[in-house]
Amino acid sequence: MNAAGAHLHWQREGGLEQVEFFAEGMHCANCARSIRTRVGALPGVQQVEVNLTTARVSVAWDPQRSRLGTVLDAVERLGFHAVPLNGTAGSAAQHAERRRSLKRIGLAGLAAMQMSMYTVGLYAGALSGIDPWIEQLLRVTAMLIAVPVMFYSGAPFLRGAWHDLRRRSLGMDVPVAAALLLAFFASVLNTWRGSGAIYFDSVAMFIFFLLVGRHVEMNVRRGSLNAGEALVRSLPATVTRLRADGGSERVELAAVAAGDRLVVPLGAVIPVDCVLESGSTLVDESLISGEAVAVTRDTGARLPGGAINLGAACTVRADADALHSTLASMAALIERAQSARPPQALAADRAASHFVFWIVLVAAAVAGLWLWLDPARAFGATLAVLVVTCPCALSLATPVALAAATTRLARRGVLVTRADALERLASIDTVVLDKTGTLTSARMRLGEVRCLGGLERERALALAASLEQLSAHPLAAAFTAATTARVAVTDARESAGRGVEGSAAGATWRIGRRDYVAELTATGLSADAPRDDDDEFVWLGSARGFAAAFALTDTLRADAVAAVNSLRALGLSVRIASGDRRSTVARVAAELGITDAAGRMNPEEKLMLMRGLQQQGHRVLMVGDGINDGPVLASAHVSCAMGGGAALAHAASDLLLMNESLGSVAAAIQIARGTRGLVRSNLRWALGYNLCAVPLAAAGLVSPWLAALGMSASSLYVVERARRFARSAA
Amino acid sequence: MSVSLLLIPLGLLLLAAAVGAFFWAVNNDQFEDLDHVADGAAEDDPAPPALPKEPP
Repeated sequence: MNAAGAHLHWQREGGLEQVEFFAEGMHCANCARSIRTRVGALPGVQQVEVNLTTARVSVAWDPQRSRLGTVLDAVERLGFHAVPLNGTAGSAAQHAERRRSLKRIGLAGLAAMQMSMYTVGLYAGALSGIDPWIEQLLRVTAMLIAVPVMFYSGAPFLRGAWHDLRRRSLGMDVPVAAALLLAFFASVLNTWRGSGAIYFDSVAMFIFFLLVGRHVEMNVRRGSLNAGEALVRSLPATVTRLRADGGSERVELAAVAAGDRLVVPLGAVIPVDCVLESGSTLVDESLISGEAVAVTRDTGARLPGGAINLGAACTVRADADALHSTLASMAALIERAQSARPPQALAADRAASHFVFWIVLVAAAVAGLWLWLDPARAFGATLAVLVVTCPCALSLATPVALAAATTRLARRGVLVTRADALERLASIDTVVLDKTGTLTSARMRLGEVRCLGGLERERALALAASLEQLSAHPLAAAFTAATTARVAVTDARESAGRGVEGSAAGATWRIGRRDYVAELTATGLSADAPRDDDDEFVWLGSARGFAAAFALTDTLRADAVAAVNSLRALGLSVRIASGDRRSTVARVAAELGITDAAGRMNPEEKLMLMRGLQQQGHRVLMVGDGINDGPVLASAHVSCAMGGGAALAHAASDLLLMNESLGSVAAAIQIARGTRGLVRSNLRWALGYNLCAVPLAAAGLVSPWLAALGMSASSLYVVERARRFARSAA
Repeated sequence: MSVSLLLIPLGLLLLAAAVGAFFWAVNNDQFEDLDHVADGAAEDDPAPPALPKEPP
């Protein structure tokens, strides 16, 4: 059954294998948990991520200890079907599920209306007399209608409960199914006997309300959660490609390869990351960066896939195929953030599971008590307790709030790449900012060039540019922009935060910090070297000695002052930790009014600073450029990296600022705090509702249909609040 | 009251017809896009095909 080859299955770094698929039949937090625990318990399985909303499962394992077949079989044994994941299969499955859900609702709604008329007839008959055969006719007709409602419309609840029981866990469907089956079969029995009350109309109405609640919840969660899919869906299905002979053809987006030349019409979405070939145009990159103002791009500029072409039809050259574009990486990161369940949500899930256990216990107690007091009312009261206390609102409270916050942040150009980042972000009290590329613009200018070892200026620049073009460090761009001359470099490698080494023209060269280059040169400086020891310069040298020194200047970002002020306004203490020279750091710190600023820190020293702050009990947000700050970012409570490009590909940080605007940091912290408030009040509300509803239902004051309405309304209220939060002005 | 023998089955038939009509509508994607279908009227028609040039 499992054609292993059809699944999206690949080798991951670290010798692991990974597979992704849809788990058909997954519809509750319990199902997701059972996949996580059972598959996670297989030998060699390192990581299991389950996205409840999209039913997407991702498993990584050690191929020495398990095989793909083992993993897929484990999923099938749990009662799910592993459906291969390919572009359209996912949305087709969602489409079919939506249709089924609508049909179930339609049947239950129409049947409930029809049956309420029979109920009116039966009530009227009971008061003013009715022929016994007509009474029985109404009962049997109601039962005829109730059968398809129960077993077609109600199937998701019955099946869910069956799976739950088989897995020996108590899910939300268990009390619902118990209530449905009790009411249905009691009514069938009474119809058979020809006396006593029938609850067919209540069953139909309960199923109708529950289905409507789940349908709305499904739509809202898909709508707000699938930011990643919305990104991908905005892409055109086909694009116009220019053939080598000058003609053009329509090809599928998936067929586009790096190097293809494409025509992007006016108003169309730019399909892949590409370079503008000729002319200039206006593009709206808001989907990628959250930046609302359209920008002008000239020939040779890089355009991210997903931007909208607002200027003129233009010709572009694809940089990457559709699968490896900025947009695809963003979609993958969002997907990752949503699949992992944050600890908060896990705790709520566990609570919901305990809660169901207590409901069943309370329902049994209520039944016993009423049987003793007044047997006629026992049935209705037990039913109401089972129905009214469905813990849906409780287990929805956290995930919908987090999903809403993620959506809102994405609109501000902040990408959340880890599920629990928001929770941690809400509690930070200290912000440590890197300088280069964070507080200052990543664009550096080359200033003075001093040649030291008889190398002429042009040659030194060409060497520097050729070495630095291999580096993603913000300084590198200054060199590559300063000259177009290049020399061939082999064996290049980068030493994070220190420099680049490579072989060119028969010698090994190093460019970077002075002490880094000095390891290679092993000679002193010539007399005309700049005397400033505080590494004012970027140095170039080979085994024959220092060859050149380059002065670089950077400028503060336009929004840096406002951003730092808004961080302070949130009550956070702001620090600078930079690898740059002390004088520059001091100048930047003075401009921003920051007193705690440290310069000339290498990654280890930054790490020490971070540990020190954490030992003092501070909760630290580190904002860096995401490239040479890797270890520091990883050790912070929350890390935030600037920008797309290299940062997006590595994505070691919890948050990514797609629009490279520092102001978004403060906004993100505010949204995170708002989310924490929303989660707490949602949980309080769900708990409060249940605490009020249970005693009323147990006292026999709530009729079964009213209980169904109350339960659905409580879930919808929680979902609606999250939706409002997502839409409120960021 | 024996008319109910006719009317109740008739009601069942009507119910079946209503459910059938609803299922047909769902299966034919009538509920897929409730927001944007009406916008179609306001959109420009695709450019008409170029007319063949009159011979001079």
